[in-house]
This record gives sequence, structure tokens and C-alpha cells, in this order.
Amino acid sequence: MSALLEAKELRKSFGGVKAVQGISLSIPEHSIYAVIGPNGAGKSTMMNLLSGTYQPDAGELLFAGRQLAGLPAHQRVRLGLARTFQKIRLFKQLSLLDNVLAGFHIHHKVPAWQYLIPGAAFWRDWTHCREQGMALLEFVGLADLAMQRAGSLAYGQQRMLEIARAMATGPRLFMLDEPAAGLNSVEVGFLLQRLKDMRERGITVVVVEHNMDLVMKVADHVFVMDRGEYLFEGAPREVQNNPKVIEAYLGGEFTGGLDS
Amino acid sequence: MSRRVADALSRPVRWPAFLGALVVIALLPMVLGTPYWRGILVVCAMNVLLAMSLNLVIGYTGQLSLGQSGFFAIGAYVTTVLLKSYGWNFWLAGVAAVLAAGLVGLLLAAFAARLRGHYLGIASLGFAVIVYQILINWESVTKGVRGIYGIMPPPPIRLPGLPEISFGNQATLFYLVAGIALCVYVILDNLVRSPIGETLRAIREDEISAASLGVNGARWKAFSFGVSAAIAGLAGCFYPGFVGTLVPDAFGIVESFTMLAMVIVGGMGTMIGPVIGAVVLTFLPEVLRGFGDFRLIVYGLALTLVVLFMPGGILQAWQILTARLRGTEASESTGGGR
Repeated sequence: MSALLEAKELRKSFGGVKAVQGISLSIPEHSIYAVIGPNGAGKSTMMNLLSGTYQPDAGELLFAGRQLAGLPAHQRVRLGLARTFQKIRLFKQLSLLDNVLAGFHIHHKVPAWQYLIPGAAFWRDWTHCREQGMALLEFVGLADLAMQRAGSLAYGQQRMLEIARAMATGPRLFMLDEPAAGLNSVEVGFLLQRLKDMRERGITVVVVEHNMDLVMKVADHVFVMDRGEYLFEGAPREVQNNPKVIEAYLGGEFTGGLDS
Repeated sequence: MSRRVADALSRPVRWPAFLGALVVIALLPMVLGTPYWRGILVVCAMNVLLAMSLNLVIGYTGQLSLGQSGFFAIGAYVTTVLLKSYGWNFWLAGVAAVLAAGLVGLLLAAFAARLRGHYLGIASLGFAVIVYQILINWESVTKGVRGIYGIMPPPPIRLPGLPEISFGNQATLFYLVAGIALCVYVILDNLVRSPIGETLRAIREDEISAASLGVNGARWKAFSFGVSAAIAGLAGCFYPGFVGTLVPDAFGIVESFTMLAMVIVGGMGTMIGPVIGAVVLTFLPEVLRGFGDFRLIVYGLALTLVVLFMPGGILQAWQILTARLRGTEASESTGGGR
């Protein structure tokens, strides 16, 4: 499998804090790629560098052979990168369906004047987006609540809605920042299945995650960071048995993953 | 197709409301028959345009703008100066004024790209102050505080085979401005229901999130400011011909705050809310004339009470009230609450 996203020697500092110090990684297409590491490892900074929320101080970033450095977040979406946020950022005042509809922003093909006086092309697009939006809500198990306000959802449902909204952009590479945080075990099981479904649909999935159980069950490849630096990478089983990784996690959270 | 998808695809029926609005507009000058009240009606139609324009920026895009009086002024002065000093046709001058206001709106949007919330509010307020100062000091063009006098209403429209439509009386001027306001309402209503509206609301709710969906925040904020400014400029075209004179004091920052009050009192982020707000705040001072010198105190008190007890504006208060009435009826008929 060829690499869809490649990072070379990425660096990012915030004042004196070196959040990411020369990270290189290569994410193969059609895989589930997990980035793990203890708190403060620089995982979220890494995610923000890949998505364009931050620009790197140094290093190269290639997506399908194209240079990403300098491209703002909204332009990367057009190339096929989508993401969710560690701290959920929904449009809380809007309905679930409207949240997902906003995700189709880059896909509307309507002559400009039809936004003022709707014509046939407008209504075709309108219908198509709503059908697709409902299908995405179905995918994350929220179709019954389509017309409710997003802010009224339970925490786990909000996470799933954010996933549906990002999927509306039609990503080739989908990055999820701690998607299992705050989910109960049933919800984690559902999420796990959905991640596998995304891979089936040909989406390359990147998961930044604390939940080792999920990572070990679903990831094809695991990349371990610690204090902004590369620690180890490999298949889940290799990572599980690596002494450096176990030490970084001080046995705490990680043995939980080993037991199950 | 499942029922859920069918729900998602149901379109609102709007033509009865449109017909209703047409009838109301047609009847108003007959109900309020004196020249005085008809004058208030014209002011009301302009205020509706102004409130709708500001609502696009504040209510739908979530950008605090206190500079709307500046765009209103640009519309009024550009029309009048082109008309009086350069002998342009009124309608052509009006188009130029709308474009000028829209372009300046795009300029202000350059600030909006960098500033948020209160900071943008102050910057836009500064813009209104600058426009006001230019009107006062650029005497060779604006005649400064002395003002421009003897401005005629829009010229009559002569269509072949039809009687001439003259705007010398306030009933026809009202029909003209209210008709334009209704057209602007319909077009804006289409716009905010379209994917563009979805994009603007996404920016209002969370700009970083919107960027993660491919939304170029700076570009769409500029769009919103530009359209909003152009509509305020459109309202400005009709003001000088209605009043007959043009002085800078008509475009002080107080006007910006009055427009803001219309949007908030009516219910921002909805189409009909600011229309209600504009109507209420235009007629309230007139209705309160019985209070004599206390009029403005009562006006201020009424504003404060509305904001205090109806945080979502008159429209939301009305919706809550009707929902409650309907809710009690429903629970009686079904024999249970939620």
C-alpha cells in the first residue's frame, strides 16, 4: 500500500514548549492508523498540524504527493482531509441535520443566481444533500433525532454527530481526535464498527486515542509518541509488547488494554 | 423513502405569507390615511430594510456590527450628490449608491477577518464615526452641517399604456419602498435557507469548526458584510427624497444602535423577527406621544423590559407563548404531558 499522507521532520513549538520535535510518519492508504501516547505527548498538536489548524515551524507534509505546508485548514478539506475535535465543536443551536448539511459546503454545484431564486439545479442539490445527510445520520445511528437541536444530545451522540458532519465533506483521509473519550462501552463498540466500515468504504482513518482497548482492536498500524518525540511504531501486538511503550505508560492505562 | 427522510425533504409553504404581506402593504396607507401617518409608514419601510440588512451580519453570520448607519449614510449621500451635483438619473444614482455601500462593506469585512466579538463591534463603530466625520468635514461635496436642501422624491415612472406613477405623495412612495423591502425579504429568505445560509450559520456557531468543513470564514464574512451594506445603502437611496433635506446628524451612531435594537427586540437570526422589531420601534415612539416629555423614558424602559424578559426577542416570546397554549391543549387531549 502506498502512503496517502507523509510527514517529514515536523516541528512545532509554543513559546518554550516543544510540542512536536521532528516527527516523521507515513500513513498508508485504506488503513486505520492510530497515534497514541501519554498525556502531553503532542498527539493533538500533531493532529492540528496535519489538519492545518496549526502551521509547522519546520518540516514537510505531503498528501497524495501534494505539499500541504502553508495551506490553511479550509483548503485542505477540498483535497480530502477531514477531522473531528478532541473537545467537541458542534453547531449547538442548529439541528442535527443542519449540522451535517453544513458539511456539504464544498460539494454544492448550483449556479450562483439560484441561491437567490431557486431553480431546478438548486432543488436537485437540496434534495440530494438532505438524502445524503439523512444517510450519514443513519450511519452514526442518529437519524431518528435529525430535527432536534445538536446541543440537546447526550455526550456520546454528540461525538457521533461530529463524525457524521465531517464525513459529509467526503474525505479521503479522516482524522478523529480521541473519538472514544467519554463514551460508554456500548458506544465504543459501535464506534469501533463504524471505523471499520469507513475503512471498507475506502477512507483512510487516523485515530488519536487514549482508549487502548479500541486501538488494539481496530488499528492496522500504531504510532507511539512521548513528550513530542517518536517512541515506537508497528502493529498493535508489537506495540503492546514493547518495553519502552509500557514504561512510557507506567503500566497504568496500558495494562488495561493488555488484559482485554 | 422512509418517513424520516420525507420529513427532511418537506418544504415550507411560503406563498400564503407572501400574499398576506402584499395585502397588508396595499391596505396600510388606506388604514393610516393622514399624511403624517403615511410618512411614518415610509420611515417604517426603510427601517425594515435596515433591520433586515443588519440581521444578516449579526443574526445569521454572528458578527457584531455597529457601523450600519455608515452604510445608510453612503446610500443617501451618494444618491443625492450624483443627483444634485452631477445631474444623474435617480435610478442610476441609486444603483451606484447601492454598489458603493456594498464595496465599502467589503472593506469593513477586511477588519472582520481579523477581529471578533466586541473588538469587531468597536472597529465597526469607529467606521460609523469616520463616515459621520467625513460628512461633516468634506464640505465641498456634502455641504457639511449646513446640509443639502430641496431634494425631490424619486421621479415618476412612465410605462407605455399605463397611467404615470408619481412618488410625490407618500402613499406611492410607501408602496415603492415597501415593495422593494418585500422583494429583499423574499430574496434574503431564499438565501438564508440555501447552502449559503447554512455556511453563514456555521460561521456564527463556530468558525474553527466551519473551517474544518472547508469554509473560508474571511470570504463568507466579506460576502455577508457586502450584501448587508448594499441593502442598507438601498434604504439610504430613498431617505433624502422622502425628507427633502440631507444633514449628517441623521446618520449618527445612535442610528446604528437603533437598528441593533430593532434586530434584538424583534428576534435576531430569524427573517421575520427584525421586521417585527422595526415596526414596533418605529411606531412605539409615536404611540407614546401621549406621555409628552416622558416619552423617551418610557421608550427606553420598554426596550429594557423586552430584552430582560424576552431574551430571544418578541418573535421567540410569541412562539413560546403559542407553544405553551398548544402544549396545554395537546396534553388535555392526549391525557398526559411529556
